Amino acid sequence: MAEAVNRPEGSRGLFWTTIVIVYAAIMLFPIFWMATMMVKPNDAMFARPTQWLFVPTLDHFTYVFEQGFHWSLLTSFVLCTVSTALVVVIGTPAAYAFARFEMKAKDDLFLFILGSRMAPPVCLVIPFYLIYAKVGLLDTFLGLTLAYMTFNLSFYVWVLRSFCRDLPVELEEAAALEGWSKVQIFRRVVFPLLRNGIVATSVLCFIFAWNEFLFAFMLGGDNVHTLPVSIPKLITSQGVRWGEMAVVGMTALVPVLIVVFILQRHIVRGLTLGAVKG
Amino acid sequence: MMRKTWCFAAALAATTALVAPLTSAARADDSFYAEAGKPYAGTTIRVLDEITPLQETLSKIVPDFEKETGIKVEWELLNHFEVINKGQADMLSGRGHYDAIMLHGAQLGPMLSAGVIMPLDKFVADSKLSDPGMNVADFIATPYKTTAFFEGKQYGFINWNYNHVYWAREDLLSNPEEMAAFKAKYGYDLGPAKTIEQMRDIAEFFTRKKGEKLAGKPLESDFYGIVLEGIKGGSTFSNLWVNFIENYGGDLLDDKGMPNFDTPQVVAALKMWRELWTFAPPGIAEYSLVDVPTVMGNGIAAQSLAWSDFVLGIDKPGVSPYAGKFIYGPIPAKAGNEAHRHADAEPSVTVINAASEHPEATFLFLEWLASKKQQDKLIEMGEGGVPIRESSWALPAIKDSDNPTLFAAMKSSLDVAKARPKMEKYPEIIDAMSGIAQEVGLGQMTPEQGAKEGQAILVKLCGGKSCTLPE
Amino acid sequence: MSATTEAAPAHVSTPQGLRERVWYPYILIAPSMIMLVVVSLVPFIYAIYLSFHQAKFGRVRDFIWFDNYATLLSDERFWNSIGVAATFVFIAVPIEFMLGLIGALVLNQNVRGRSVLVPLLFMPTMMAPIVVGLLWKIMLAGSWGFFSYNVLERFNILTDTSVFASPDLALYALIFVDIWQWTPFMMLAFFAGLQALPLGPYRAAAVDGANPVQIFFHITLPMMTPLLAVIGLLRFIDAFKVFDTIYILTNGGPGTSTETPSILANKMTFEFWNIGEASALAVLVWIAFFAFCTIFYQVAKKRLNAF
Repeated sequence: MAEAVNRPEGSRGLFWTTIVIVYAAIMLFPIFWMATMMVKPNDAMFARPTQWLFVPTLDHFTYVFEQGFHWSLLTSFVLCTVSTALVVVIGTPAAYAFARFEMKAKDDLFLFILGSRMAPPVCLVIPFYLIYAKVGLLDTFLGLTLAYMTFNLSFYVWVLRSFCRDLPVELEEAAALEGWSKVQIFRRVVFPLLRNGIVATSVLCFIFAWNEFLFAFMLGGDNVHTLPVSIPKLITSQGVRWGEMAVVGMTALVPVLIVVFILQRHIVRGLTLGAVKG
Repeated sequence: MMRKTWCFAAALAATTALVAPLTSAARADDSFYAEAGKPYAGTTIRVLDEITPLQETLSKIVPDFEKETGIKVEWELLNHFEVINKGQADMLSGRGHYDAIMLHGAQLGPMLSAGVIMPLDKFVADSKLSDPGMNVADFIATPYKTTAFFEGKQYGFINWNYNHVYWAREDLLSNPEEMAAFKAKYGYDLGPAKTIEQMRDIAEFFTRKKGEKLAGKPLESDFYGIVLEGIKGGSTFSNLWVNFIENYGGDLLDDKGMPNFDTPQVVAALKMWRELWTFAPPGIAEYSLVDVPTVMGNGIAAQSLAWSDFVLGIDKPGVSPYAGKFIYGPIPAKAGNEAHRHADAEPSVTVINAASEHPEATFLFLEWLASKKQQDKLIEMGEGGVPIRESSWALPAIKDSDNPTLFAAMKSSLDVAKARPKMEKYPEIIDAMSGIAQEVGLGQMTPEQGAKEGQAILVKLCGGKSCTLPE
Repeated sequence: MSATTEAAPAHVSTPQGLRERVWYPYILIAPSMIMLVVVSLVPFIYAIYLSFHQAKFGRVRDFIWFDNYATLLSDERFWNSIGVAATFVFIAVPIEFMLGLIGALVLNQNVRGRSVLVPLLFMPTMMAPIVVGLLWKIMLAGSWGFFSYNVLERFNILTDTSVFASPDLALYALIFVDIWQWTPFMMLAFFAGLQALPLGPYRAAAVDGANPVQIFFHITLPMMTPLLAVIGLLRFIDAFKVFDTIYILTNGGPGTSTETPSILANKMTFEFWNIGEASALAVLVWIAFFAFCTIFYQVAKKRLNAF
């Protein structure tokens, strides 16, 4: 933005930085607290008065990995990557079409897409279960990949469409005049320009899939056992295994954190790019 | 442990390594299962059970069955709510993925009325399948008889005898200073509550504010006389129902299954319930089975009524700083009504899915689980547990336990434990009635209103007819 | 990347040279449409079918016309759940929206170390909702929660109840948790939107000597409207369906004070196994949403040029 470009870095930047850091510290405190629970012995977990210092233990990690947690991590990763990739492949052209072209009943088609996200999933999971039981899709990667389309495809198409609208139409026109094919225009002009939007939106889709519980639980099973599904097992009738819960909860954050960290230069286009553009 | 297709070989290798030392010796008394299992060797059965340390111990024994019979068992453990959701979805949809599914006593009514449980009678009558050494007379009688049978048919053996006990802080109840003060105030000796009235007095006595003294030391935070489950759902209502209302001589239904909630006994029990809530931590209405053990384990409250299998997980060194300082007792009875005491329990069975394709192999597995030998092993390996057989009380792990009062309390509860009535609308009834339990407990509704409204809900839900399935 | 448009894009600008090919856009949307028909429409039609049947325990029995709907519409618990969800949504979403927008504008200043701060700030949204529920249980549970004990109890706030156990407070506590969880989502989406805005209009405004407030209302806000509308609408729909956190923290209690349609539907499905009625609830919620979204879409399209 203009302000960011025009003003030299200085005390104002520092001021805002401080604000953001203070805000982050307050908001993230609960997460920090949960992180400490990963290595906290059980008898210090909720001790009164609160124990800030304790001898760390690795027991919780041991239990969680004995339970095959790392396989859930892998399953989640494969499942979410595949389903997000599928969303990007089939959703990007649709978002582009809705932003660029006139179609008959376009508004209705566009709302139909959003419609798939409207009904509470808890009401749909039994119809899904009954259908999947008949066609043999229960506890398969394909089954869950398809089920995740219901909430992610609509999200992706709707959000990406607003990114598509911001693209300058002249580039596509120029390419068309040079005789490029539609596929070429899409691949060489639209796709690169949309890259930031695609990355930002698909990261959000990945996170939705990563954290999804209900479908993963009811439609999954021993073969397809995702991370969120392994959490309720720690809530036993002898109380919650809090330390183990913290381990699963926090380790589940790490891959997403890494993904966001690596991809953020696309999400946050950054000043350098803005300067070039300006 | 989960099995992934891509790591199948690794898992198999690991399982074999784990199993080998345990199963090296197949002895003579296993010969029945080895013989009976022959026609089904190579079959795979899938079993769904609830995850608690009891089942985690059992999972170490299950491979022995595979070794003895050649029948492969996929043993899946899920948490309480998941077992219900997934198990019922599997049975009701007729999918038949699981051959055997653990059902809590409360689920039996709905599942029987849906007709999705396979009766066992033809297997029991089959000499090839029926273990002659089963000795059903050894099962703790009332829970077994009220749970496993319906309309003269048998639907399971008994698998899990979950039960409630009284749970208190021994270090406080035996503190000389507190004992003297208690005696001065109430005129009798402080000790584990025998009656509900004593439990009330103790709750009142130990409810203290920050800064007041407890056992001679100033409190750094508020302390409470009692903690109970109070969340909507869970076992909030069954606690109120069996441990209070039934001990007061009231009940949910009459002998014919008709709603019978608007009675003086129920009102009296609700009054006590309300009073006890005033001595409980402020969060009681959000407390579930997650919170009660946490609160007791952290030393915030003096006493509780709780599931005895909770205790096995909390009262051990390294888990709670108060481990070893607890004492257990039978569920306190209503003073004057000790002869007709009641204790909340939920005997549960593993049943055969009506859609199962391997009922015979599954039946063998269920028999094997309930057999004396495996039960003994389970209790020895778990260093205790919740017995389903009378003979288990004499096992060293229980008899010589570090925690004798717990097992005495458990036995006392199981002596009077019975299954839940088999009601088709059980879940609806519990959901609505636990709302009443909350509102009365919070003081938003008087006990009289609670009894009236509860009765109205029961009449409406059961359509003015009997709430139980016709026998 | 030198070509930037000065004005906000018009409603539809089809590139010259692609206009005559009427069938092209249909090919582009076909895969998505087919996919959604299969994975979304088919189960939904099945749900409609179930909603007209007595489907207790997942066994489809008699065709009973609108009986499930009638039962539901005459059940005060259903209307209560709609009221609870409406309160939840109309408080939580506007706050998330405003905080998210403010946060995005702040981040868009010369904040240093954004590459670290952005992922960190985003953490609440990255967590599984079920973990978020347990996390706030750890913080706010009566008596043993970290915050309950170290703050509320120490300063004698709420001595006779706890936030999740109080019929008056529980819903607002859940709203707070939702705001904590989803404000970062709004913030990041809006921030990405700000970063994607063309710079031309800002340069022009700088030449004209416009002040930051004018720049915000005349340039930033109009150009951001499409994204704000889409994200706001999606969050609105999602917030109405909120489930995991409530399920963990109160399961609809105390009484029915936090029972949203999703919590009620969960009980109908997994406790009462009244699949017919749960399906009727799904259909009703869907119809209400579809009507709302259609109106919102048309209004936002005409008045704000948002779609």
